[in-house]
Amino acid sequence: MSNKAIINCENVSKQFGYFFALKKISFQVREDTVFGIAGANGAGKTTLIKILSGLLKPTFGKIMFGDMNYDDNSNIIKQNIGITTDESFLFEELTIFENLKYYANLHLNFDKRNIETLIDHYCKKFNLTDWINEPVRILSHGMKQKVELIRGVIHEPSILFLDEPFSGLDYNATTMLINFFKDLKKNKNVSIILTTHKTEVFQQICDDLIILKKGKINKAITNEQFSEAEIKSFY
Amino acid sequence: MKNEKISSKSRLKLLKVILSKDLKSELRQINDLFAIFLFDIISIFIFSSVYNFGTQYQTMPLEIFVIENWLIIFFTTVYIMTKLFVKEKDSGTIGGLISSPVSANLILMSKIIFCFILLTFVEVILFLFSVFISAPSIANFSSSQLLIFICFGVLLPTLDLSICGSLVSAFSMYVKNKSFILPILLFPLILPIITPIISINIKILEGELISSLFYEIIFFSAHIILMSSIMTLTSEALLYD
Repeated sequence: MSNKAIINCENVSKQFGYFFALKKISFQVREDTVFGIAGANGAGKTTLIKILSGLLKPTFGKIMFGDMNYDDNSNIIKQNIGITTDESFLFEELTIFENLKYYANLHLNFDKRNIETLIDHYCKKFNLTDWINEPVRILSHGMKQKVELIRGVIHEPSILFLDEPFSGLDYNATTMLINFFKDLKKNKNVSIILTTHKTEVFQQICDDLIILKKGKINKAITNEQFSEAEIKSFY
Repeated sequence: MKNEKISSKSRLKLLKVILSKDLKSELRQINDLFAIFLFDIISIFIFSSVYNFGTQYQTMPLEIFVIENWLIIFFTTVYIMTKLFVKEKDSGTIGGLISSPVSANLILMSKIIFCFILLTFVEVILFLFSVFISAPSIANFSSSQLLIFICFGVLLPTLDLSICGSLVSAFSMYVKNKSFILPILLFPLILPIITPIISINIKILEGELISSLFYEIIFFSAHIILMSSIMTLTSEALLYD
């Protein structure tokens, strides 16, 4: 774990019509850490994740990835990030394999010679091997969620954005996923930014946490200061 | 962070990846394609039957034949437009494209080519059927004229329609009443090219020389350049909410 900031968010605001979903948010994400974003429904978690990953543009403020400004280097930054959101990016008519291969091929900065082996490896890890050649439309919500996660990591990103990655997953899948994220952070030096309503997850994997309330940062805490009861009090 | 510059070769590769995904996805929804062909064939049949019944003529004049075909193509374009950005927005997959390291211009270009391929495919079937069903009065049509007809009478206008269709589809993707907005936005854009399309088709089918098509070709080229420029300048704003 280093203290070098991989993401620097400065006074970011997002306005939808007259409504401010985010109001002057500023924080830093340290390299090789798991950064949690907590908050009740409507606090602005998803909007923040979408802005950080480039799906939405901030109305005001600046986001720096290392020493790179997002607006001037969006393609380089996008090569290095992975994202899963509440919306599915999967094509229902295509198979799991075709979807994963398509998204992997959109990223040019990693070795694609072993792409088929890599897809097989992830599908095996997430118990999807039997479904690999089935169209996505026949999969259950939990299975789609797993495919979404593989889609987010298949191109070996250095920053991973996860919006509610545990929704629709059973206890075993959640535990497996937590271990998977720990492994990504430890062995592949991936920085992870995640939102979830499962407050116990923050204690298990997050190094830093911000709690949002009505579009503002209500509290910023580090792992040593975590208390599940305190986090729950903000919901 | 890994920093790799995207070369022209890589751009072509990305274009191929997006295009092949779109085509594969389209072929898996064969019912949609079938619906388009059914609409086209039924329309030709109704047009021909009404004409033959009303006039008692067995062959259709060139003017009616050309207008019949292109009227059907305009309506087909509206349907195909919904398959471009609007469908990707509704299914949420547009987020996958936007969050990928693919430039907005490349995404738009891939949709133009996809629209062009679909429209051309529909037009081939449409023209073949309409020649047999409507029996237009085309005489002494040489192979060189056929080539001119395909290039300037079909492909050039189709490219123009594809650019306008993609532009409108991208523009209306975030609008609430998409199905209402799509034709309203499309028709003013294609209105200036309707007359040149009809006139170039009639001239070629009547056997006129390529030199007489000069003004129409210039007009199409200017319209294509204008629409492409608007698209390039607004591409970022079009794709982001």
